[in-house]
Amino acid sequence: MKRKKSSQSRLKKEVLEQSLCTGCGACVGLCPYQVVYRDRTVQLFDCDLSDGKCRAFCPRTPADGRLLRDGLFDAADATDEIGPVKEFWFTRAKDAGLRARAQHGGTVTALLRLAMSEGWIDAAIVSGRLDGREPEGRLIDRGEEPADYAGSRFWAAPTVAAFHRMPENGAGRVGVVATPCQALALAKIRTAKIDGYQKGGTLSLVIGLFCGWTLALDRFQNLLNQYHLPAQNLTGMDIPAGKNILELRTAGGAVNVPMDEVDECVREACRYCIDSTAEFADLSVGAARFGGNPVEMSGWNQVIVRSEKGKNLVSLARDQGILECREAPRRALAELMSAAAEKKKKALARIIEKSRSPEKLLYLNPDDPAVRKYLNEVLQDKAKPLLKKKGDR
Amino acid sequence: MTRLLAPAGSKVLFLGNEAIARGALEAGVSVATAYPGTPSSEVIESLAPAASKRSLYVEWSVNEKVALEVAAAASFAGLRSMAVMKQNGVNVASDFLLHLTASGTRGGLVLVSCEDPGALSSVNEGESRYFAGMLEMPLLEPADFQEAKDMTKWAFELSEAIGNVVMLRSVTRMSHASGNVVCGTLPAKARKAAFEYGGPIMDSQTGPMISTPVVAKHLLRRQKLKAVCALFEKSPFNRYTGPARPDLLLITASACWLYAAEAVHMLGLQKKVGILKLGTTWPLPPRLVSQYLRKARRILIVEEVMAFLEENVKVLAAGNPKLSEDKTFFGKYDGTLPFAGELNPDIVADALVKIFNIRRCGLSSSYQEEARKTAAMLPPREQTFCAGCPHRASFWSIHNAIALDGRGGFVCGDIGCYSMAALTPANGFGTMPTLHSMGSGTGLASGFARLAPFGFKKPVLTVCGDSTFYHAVIPALINARHNRADITFIVLDNQGTAMTGFQPHPGNEVNALRESVPAVDIAAVCRAIGAKVAVCDPFDLSATGSVLTDFLAEKDSLKVLILRQACALSPEKKGKKTFEMKVDESLCLGDACGCNRLCTRIFRCPALVWDRKKKKAAVDEVVCAGCGVCASICPRKAILKSQAASAAASGG
Repeated sequence: MKRKKSSQSRLKKEVLEQSLCTGCGACVGLCPYQVVYRDRTVQLFDCDLSDGKCRAFCPRTPADGRLLRDGLFDAADATDEIGPVKEFWFTRAKDAGLRARAQHGGTVTALLRLAMSEGWIDAAIVSGRLDGREPEGRLIDRGEEPADYAGSRFWAAPTVAAFHRMPENGAGRVGVVATPCQALALAKIRTAKIDGYQKGGTLSLVIGLFCGWTLALDRFQNLLNQYHLPAQNLTGMDIPAGKNILELRTAGGAVNVPMDEVDECVREACRYCIDSTAEFADLSVGAARFGGNPVEMSGWNQVIVRSEKGKNLVSLARDQGILECREAPRRALAELMSAAAEKKKKALARIIEKSRSPEKLLYLNPDDPAVRKYLNEVLQDKAKPLLKKKGDR
Repeated sequence: MTRLLAPAGSKVLFLGNEAIARGALEAGVSVATAYPGTPSSEVIESLAPAASKRSLYVEWSVNEKVALEVAAAASFAGLRSMAVMKQNGVNVASDFLLHLTASGTRGGLVLVSCEDPGALSSVNEGESRYFAGMLEMPLLEPADFQEAKDMTKWAFELSEAIGNVVMLRSVTRMSHASGNVVCGTLPAKARKAAFEYGGPIMDSQTGPMISTPVVAKHLLRRQKLKAVCALFEKSPFNRYTGPARPDLLLITASACWLYAAEAVHMLGLQKKVGILKLGTTWPLPPRLVSQYLRKARRILIVEEVMAFLEENVKVLAAGNPKLSEDKTFFGKYDGTLPFAGELNPDIVADALVKIFNIRRCGLSSSYQEEARKTAAMLPPREQTFCAGCPHRASFWSIHNAIALDGRGGFVCGDIGCYSMAALTPANGFGTMPTLHSMGSGTGLASGFARLAPFGFKKPVLTVCGDSTFYHAVIPALINARHNRADITFIVLDNQGTAMTGFQPHPGNEVNALRESVPAVDIAAVCRAIGAKVAVCDPFDLSATGSVLTDFLAEKDSLKVLILRQACALSPEKKGKKTFEMKVDESLCLGDACGCNRLCTRIFRCPALVWDRKKKKAAVDEVVCAGCGVCASICPRKAILKSQAASAAASGG
């Protein structure tokens, strides 16, 4: 008699043992069998259930992107490069004080505050503060200040686990600030049809973040040790536009780390990621980079509005004078799409190398036209030595 | 207790070990020492309460080597003394024993070894009879309870007659079974201790107690065996029952005599099989054994565990052509009886059936069919930690810390209740892949941790109990420190020698005689060795987990975590609950995704039961010890704990 394999063991085989785990936290906080320790997902005990939520929600188990997109977005808005696009703006928070505390334009913080004050959400989940001992997701309610959690963290926090840990009744509707892999997991959660599971309905808003990679904690820790920089002294980090460095900020000044040293610290799973703009969020926010001079751009965000809800939130923010919005130059969108497409191709090339077959794409579906388009380009390019360049990301 | 001091002539129902104790009292024993070990512990346990009435010093020594040394000192001072241990204890004492049988003794000294064929309560199936042969000391084996008493008493006299240790060997079925014993007289006068040593070097009664000159004293020891053989030839402990010319001579000793007698009776072979029961099994009395060897063509030797008796009989026979020509020996060497495991009447009966080529009337086939069907219905009952055992909580925390660490850490196991973490891996959550003798866990860990230059990257942990710590671990710990072995050492301190029946040890402030004594602090010893020491309550899962995680992350140092929480069966806890536990069924997720029966399937305290109809967990109030740990592991906080009334009344 053939017994169905347990979800947990499939998760282990398909994701954890393949170095595909992004540390998003989607499989954690559901039960005592999986936990995150530092940035590793650990399976503590054996679970023998075969239809577990852990595997269903994981963004790196095989899934059909088309079904997810149909459930959340208008087909007319679809783009191959950067997912659904309703609108594209450059934005920044009106409040200069808020901008000072933020990474770039303070857009995420401003929108969170607005969503909470307008009652669109009762609580928000963001990644914990920079000085926290362990990366984790934090649930913040109206009593707390989202600005306290502003500023980019370049390592993975298991934010989705914080959503799972919310009590069944009582927390109300929730907004989550999510990286692309987390946004994909949240999309699976929102569209899940699982007996007895109602929690997906409380997910009201997903604000996505542009993302190129995260840093593996242990290797990043070694890097910090080499630079004699205790982690608790870090006040922020950034990749200044046009410069090939990672800037680490402390109270006593900044330390610049060459990007190829940083590259050694990138989490393995990130190299197989095709989504640099959080394609499954209601709206996605990144640093304005293209189509202007860097000095002018720093201090602004670029925003992709994807869903009706995302559109309404941005409009409201603009109308209430909380957010300054301006038309982005044409070039900006084109350059963003071009960069995103390049990342997809690089990731797909690595995926094929790992799976050893152009028809086996690990967690991606080769029948998804958005995937197929870049897969074909990669296969055509295969004669050219795409991956032989050093320092490829 | 008064049973042990019953007046002469009374017939008392004694445990085998109690009979041995009574025999020692009748011999006027002054000092009795031991380290607890099943099946030997009751000898000292029954003597201790009688000590105050009999001018007797009784001691739980820190290990069997020291126990024998303490008994030897008494013997050197002219007092009769006894050291009691299980079979592996003799191994521990063996270095001293080697020198003791060479130096000789003065006051009668009896070494009682209670052994465990079949390893019912051991993780080895060792044998100490070979020590008798190797160290040339007389060996006596009682085959019933009256003999257990009488032999022990006589052993002291024999020891004084030859000035050497006498070994008395028992087995589980003798030590832990009971039978009627007619008591003898208890001596009125007690001896006085005196130690003089100015006499000639070869005179162990007046000279120095030393094993040198070695060869000369060895020859002297062999000489004494002649006197022993002479006494053994006439010993009432050797008995024959059966026909004058049996078809089969069955030579046996110890509890095997009972199996053999029963097997012969079952098969109705009394007219064909003669049983020679030997009580003096080394050195074999040559004339006596030869006399019976001559009577039969076929000889079966029945013994546990190894072929000690068989080898000695064959050596004797080989020395005399008349005894060995035309004879067939059956036993272990020819496969008639197994070389391992306990014997029983059925096994001996099967051997006889083979030898006599007869059919055995077993149970009817319908009965056997019923028996098979019934057996299939029996629920599996595995060895597990008691409800409320601190070890379950400790291994839960150890397992989780190892999993979070992620480098494949493992625990070198040791001897105690916590050995069950290796015996049934589910009990230890899969953490313990090695298990050997007392104190060997730390020794192995000290070795594994030095393998980094060979590419070994796994974190090394080891555990031991509080009693084991004093017994054997300290030298290995010093070795680890001095040789810079990076290990995480966890002492599972449940405040007593639990596995063997909660005897006191140097960590307790009370001894075998219920006197108030100073305790030796484990933490202080570890600190003196130079280890980093932390103490936690294993029931506090998060504090314990936190320390373990920190320790595992810390490299290049010796880290000791003492997990201190009394055993669930300790006098202070037995029968008392700290908490009342109950499952809230409305919160319990049962076997659904999100829990999948963590408490009953993985944690598996015997007090947590799975209701298959309701599909919910439940607490069995009768089994539950009220420790409260399960409340911490439930993902839904569905296990509720409230202060127990008795705990509240006594101040918690």
